[in-house]
Amino acid sequence: MTQQTPKELFDKGLITGKQFNKIDLITSGKIVSVFYELRSLLYLGVMLFTAGAGILIYENIGELGHIVAIIALSLLTIVCFGYVYQKAVGYSNEQVKSPTPYFDYILLLGSLLFISVQGYLQFQFGLLDENLGISTLITAAFFFYLAYRYDHAGILSLAITALASFWSISISPQKWYSGNFFEGAHLYSTAIIFGSVLAAVSILLDRRSIKKHFTFTYLNFCMLIFFVGSMVGLFDTESYTIYLLLIYAGAVFAFYVARWKKSFLFLLYAFAATYIGTTYLLADTVMRDAIELWFLYSIASCGGFVYFIVKYRTFFAREL
Amino acid sequence: MRSAYNETWLYNLAVIKETKRWLKQNFITREQFERINEAYPSSFYHPNFMIRILLLLATLLALSGVTGLLALIFLNSTSKEFLSVASIIYGILHLTFLEKVLIQNNKHYKSGITEALLYSGIGFTIAGFSNFDEHVILYVCLIVFSFSAIRYVDLICTMAATGTFAAILFYECYNAGGIVQQIIPFVFILIFGAVYLFFKTLKSRESFKVWTNNLLLVESLSLLLVYAGGNYLVVRELSVSMMGLDIEDGGDIPFAFIFYSLTVLVPVAYLYFGIKRKDVVLLRVSLIVIAFSAFTFKYYYSLGHPEITLTLAGVILLAVSILLLNYLKTMRNGFTREDLLGEKWGNLNVEAFIVSQTMGGNRTNAQSGDSFGGGDSGGGGASTNF
Repeated sequence: MTQQTPKELFDKGLITGKQFNKIDLITSGKIVSVFYELRSLLYLGVMLFTAGAGILIYENIGELGHIVAIIALSLLTIVCFGYVYQKAVGYSNEQVKSPTPYFDYILLLGSLLFISVQGYLQFQFGLLDENLGISTLITAAFFFYLAYRYDHAGILSLAITALASFWSISISPQKWYSGNFFEGAHLYSTAIIFGSVLAAVSILLDRRSIKKHFTFTYLNFCMLIFFVGSMVGLFDTESYTIYLLLIYAGAVFAFYVARWKKSFLFLLYAFAATYIGTTYLLADTVMRDAIELWFLYSIASCGGFVYFIVKYRTFFAREL
Repeated sequence: MRSAYNETWLYNLAVIKETKRWLKQNFITREQFERINEAYPSSFYHPNFMIRILLLLATLLALSGVTGLLALIFLNSTSKEFLSVASIIYGILHLTFLEKVLIQNNKHYKSGITEALLYSGIGFTIAGFSNFDEHVILYVCLIVFSFSAIRYVDLICTMAATGTFAAILFYECYNAGGIVQQIIPFVFILIFGAVYLFFKTLKSRESFKVWTNNLLLVESLSLLLVYAGGNYLVVRELSVSMMGLDIEDGGDIPFAFIFYSLTVLVPVAYLYFGIKRKDVVLLRVSLIVIAFSAFTFKYYYSLGHPEITLTLAGVILLAVSILLLNYLKTMRNGFTREDLLGEKWGNLNVEAFIVSQTMGGNRTNAQSGDSFGGGDSGGGGASTNF
């Protein structure tokens, strides 16, 4: 691809003169799009502002001017939602194009401020211990409403996270790294059930053609929760057969979803989960204390896998 | 030196990738795309990104098995020198296998398997030299990385080669001592300024079209290194830690005013020329270095309220971007706010995932009732990421 390519295509008669004029303006750099630069700036602005405001509130609790700050933030939240309410176009089951370029970001800003203000109110009025579950559930419901009404996949992720944390799961990988993912006992059962139920619901919604473009976000969350849940179960318990079977079932499901949604990410999940599960089984049965066997196993399994993928390349290129 | 790949196919593949973007934006019809596809054939095996990751991981695992078996055979009985030579031979065997079997016979192009073999081969080749002093290692790294970057059109190797070059420049000047040590910042600015201009001219040459992306990467990295050479924070911290400079209370590094002005002027210059010449590379780099300049000044002249800084920075960014979005409602000077060619990573799903990763993280903390600051809010949670 060079700057002369559009001209070359035009000379060969592969594109029309009108198309060439339009495309050449872009590839020659006469017109420059700063779409992604501006969106990144907006996103960064929202993040920095909500982060700063959040810390500002908690650090100054009980001090003078603090009430003013809370009121200001509440007002700002209302302004954000007011803007969104005013500008929004009607609801549709299909994907909706945002009415203004910053619509999505105002909505995100409002939602994040909402979390800050709501969290503060809860803390200040001492409701922390009893009602946190309920309020998380309300937040989740509110965010699900926002996500569907104003068609925002980012808010949908927040909603799923809130719903999951209502069931005491934190979905962020940052948690997995720090190793305190499933602090309590048997949380992985909750994770497995949560993942399965949410997946079922999202497929049902997809079948009814309600916001089909949300299905990817749903299923991505579901699979991560499901696989991590069943793997913790696999590593944690003595009788792990049930978790191994769950992993295999999940992998089959992921494989079909990958074909259905034409997404290679789910294919990656399917293979990785199967491989980890099977390796664990072999490690526990055949390959105890035999390091040579381990090397041979990694050569044979991975070599075989690579051969399989390359051999059936047309399948993976066309079917998915 | 030539690339290991068939250059016509490389060009054809690039054309297909570009026209696919035109198709997505409805600039051309599907029939036209099919015809272009036929007119620009390439027989590469170049799978989808996810498949590439799978193949990369699987190949690395398989290679580690091979290495493990070899290590079992050779490791106990032999001398250090033999191991060094064996490591180099093993590394070169990787590259030979990559070149003959994968690229020539099976027409792989960046298939994940090729990357795995390349990185593993580079690793063993360089590891073979680990008994020499750091000078030899640095030059070996530079040669091996540059070779791989050019021959296999690899971006990670390009980055590593540029980094190694910068490291060599630094160590040579540092070891020279005396006045040369003092002028390292200016050496960096001059040399990488020249590198930038040189690679920019290379990019427009027809015979270098295979390496367009690699040249682009070197271009951006040189701009960053020029900036780093003049940045006050970088110069000051390196002077203190590497050259044992003592800065007393109220004192400052020599020629501090030069570095203060460079910290301000370089980003402004990048932004100015980026806008004037409609150069996207300059524009993007200028955004990054503006942020770093702001950080530099906050680092030394902080009022001790990071949360206020964060909030204000957020307000400024929001204001600037909303103003610009309004300003560019109509096209000005060739700049537009509209999305012209859908970019690879610009899709909504990726963004949704990032939102949840940066914001939704720390809810269980609040649940278990410890420090509320890191708790329920997106605000507290996100701060750890910055």
